[in-house]
Amino acid sequence: MTGFVLEASALVKSYGPTRALDGVALSVRAGESVAIMGASGSGKTTLLHLLAGIVAPDSGSVAFRTAEARVEVTALSERERSRLRREAFGFVFQQGLLIAELTAVENVALALMLNGMPRPRAEEHARGWLAALGLAGMEDRRIGQLSGGQAQRVAIARAQVTGARVVFADEPTGALDSATSADVMDALLDSTVGQGRTLVLVTHDPDVAARCERIVEVRDGRIVAERAGHPASRAAGSSGADAATADAATADAATADAATADAAVRA
Amino acid sequence: MIGRVAWLLARPDRQGFATIALPVTAFAIVTALLSTVLGGAQMFWAWDDEYGATYQALAVVALVLLVVPLASLGGAAARLSARRRDDRLATLRLLGATSSTVSALAVIEAGALALAGAAVGVALYVTFVPALALIPFRGQALGVEGVWLGASVAFVPLGVTALAIVSAVLGLRRVVISPLGVRTRQEVPRVHWVRLMIGAAVIVLAFGMMALLQVAGSLIVILAMLAAAFGGTIAVLNLMGPWVLRLVASGQARRAKAPARLLAARTVLESPKAAWRQVSGVAMTSFMAVFAGSGVAVLQAMSASDGDRESVLLLADIRTGLLITVVGSFLMVACSVGVNQAAGILDRRDLYRSLDMLGMPRSTMDAARRRAVMSPLRITAVGSAVAAAAVMLPLTGIALIVAPVSLLVIAAVLAAGIGVVWLGLRATRPMLERAADGPSRAVVA
Repeated sequence: MTGFVLEASALVKSYGPTRALDGVALSVRAGESVAIMGASGSGKTTLLHLLAGIVAPDSGSVAFRTAEARVEVTALSERERSRLRREAFGFVFQQGLLIAELTAVENVALALMLNGMPRPRAEEHARGWLAALGLAGMEDRRIGQLSGGQAQRVAIARAQVTGARVVFADEPTGALDSATSADVMDALLDSTVGQGRTLVLVTHDPDVAARCERIVEVRDGRIVAERAGHPASRAAGSSGADAATADAATADAATADAATADAAVRA
Repeated sequence: MIGRVAWLLARPDRQGFATIALPVTAFAIVTALLSTVLGGAQMFWAWDDEYGATYQALAVVALVLLVVPLASLGGAAARLSARRRDDRLATLRLLGATSSTVSALAVIEAGALALAGAAVGVALYVTFVPALALIPFRGQALGVEGVWLGASVAFVPLGVTALAIVSAVLGLRRVVISPLGVRTRQEVPRVHWVRLMIGAAVIVLAFGMMALLQVAGSLIVILAMLAAAFGGTIAVLNLMGPWVLRLVASGQARRAKAPARLLAARTVLESPKAAWRQVSGVAMTSFMAVFAGSGVAVLQAMSASDGDRESVLLLADIRTGLLITVVGSFLMVACSVGVNQAAGILDRRDLYRSLDMLGMPRSTMDAARRRAVMSPLRITAVGSAVAAAAVMLPLTGIALIVAPVSLLVIAAVLAAGIGVVWLGLRATRPMLERAADGPSRAVVA
């Protein structure tokens, strides 16, 4: 047992003549927060996509470990990777990318329904997570009726509700002002590393990166520097996730996690 | 300069072939149908005997019925061009284009696609003229001279292109703000129940008129009364359609257990009017198919024994015209559904991309958007058919007994029409795949 939840080695990925990643190795410990920093075009988003099994590398490997199993992500088929993402990973994007037609609670519950959970139970869990993230009373609002920060919290709830072991966030505060951005980072960190989960985050913002335990800098498709962040710094008066509520909401879903990894290995 | 940029941007892009092929196909079908109907109508106008006027009136009805789906198809194609324009805004800005240049480009593009499609449509029409010439009217085949528009066929593509340009200009006004920006801040629009009351009243009125049919003397009077009841009920369908769709979808949204069903129902609820616009052509067609179909079936059965030859032929011809109109209208609805879906996928490609990353199976995304069209379509086709059957109650009942085959034919045509729309949807599946793949699988992220 190495304690690593993600292990990537010798990742190479080219798009046409452009080499986006050129032999990257990165290991992420369980419960750790890692920021991947770099200028646009540096390959940081490609690295996130490879780690999360969204894109397959040209060569190299990515492994995902749980206490029960070790899954070679790079050896899985597209369909199996899709299932792994659905069941073991969570995602937060820059624009939230929530479904505008659905209410907040439906957006979050959808993640559980996709894993086969009946709708009433899925919505109950979703309400728990939304409340934990300070959105009690807004469950039945449509996404357009929420502010940018609130919508991003809904996205965080969606990423977490399945009991994701690893949450991948791509510029999660990119579309927010700095105060809201600090708030959203609090919520994101509290609901992930705050509860023993892992956070891998891509950003170009040094302040956001500094909130993570480890900062990895990518340039021209290679990791050029690695340093520690200052995870203790928090925004004043933050309203992050209430760990107890969130835990209760996730308890059920989390048990599905081990089964997923097993199933993925068997598949 | 605009012309050169338009040409530069006309190259196939990463949305692929479908964004160009769909509107071109749509305009081709529109042009071919329009030329066919105009060709037939022109011959009707050459008749000046006592039945001539009836045929002319029927031709006008057929044209009117085809204009509604035609206009919505034109609008859909223009919207698709506008979406493509959004996608390439960045490219255009790099080239130093102003927003008015960009708008002009969208209009030029819509016009060019329409013209290209219309040219293909004329070719299709010319190819089909020998087959169309075999369609019997008044007891004999129309003949080539009966369906051939002659040199004036050249005006059809011009008309279709003009329509596309007008729809593009109108459509552009609506997409000045990005589609998502418009949508997200909106409350779900409500449709008032008063519509239902008005609708019910008109249906009762129409039913009453049908009851009076028995005392009407001549075939022409009967046709006039049928036309009034028909027009009234069509208006009602348009009034009630969005309301009914919203009602059904909100029930579906509450009950939905599977993600695709929930998504589909919410999509309809987002804009019941838009859902209705997409299938309203079918409402009219389906209504007409049952309404006129059962009427004609009964009258035909009645006049088979004692009717004069002209009446028998007129009824047979109405049935032929009916079939042509139903087929044409379903083809156009299928096209506009395909084109609308293409625009919808472009609108929401970031969302589809993100859902794919979240691990939502593509089959679920596809099922959701398919259901969001097919469910309103089924409700509309069946609902309109039932409304027509209700208005024509005595006649529908009689038709069921004296001419069951006619009713079967109507049902089969409606079912086939729904199938064609499904195919239109299916044609956009590759676009969904590309949207879900996203740019990161093609270019540097």
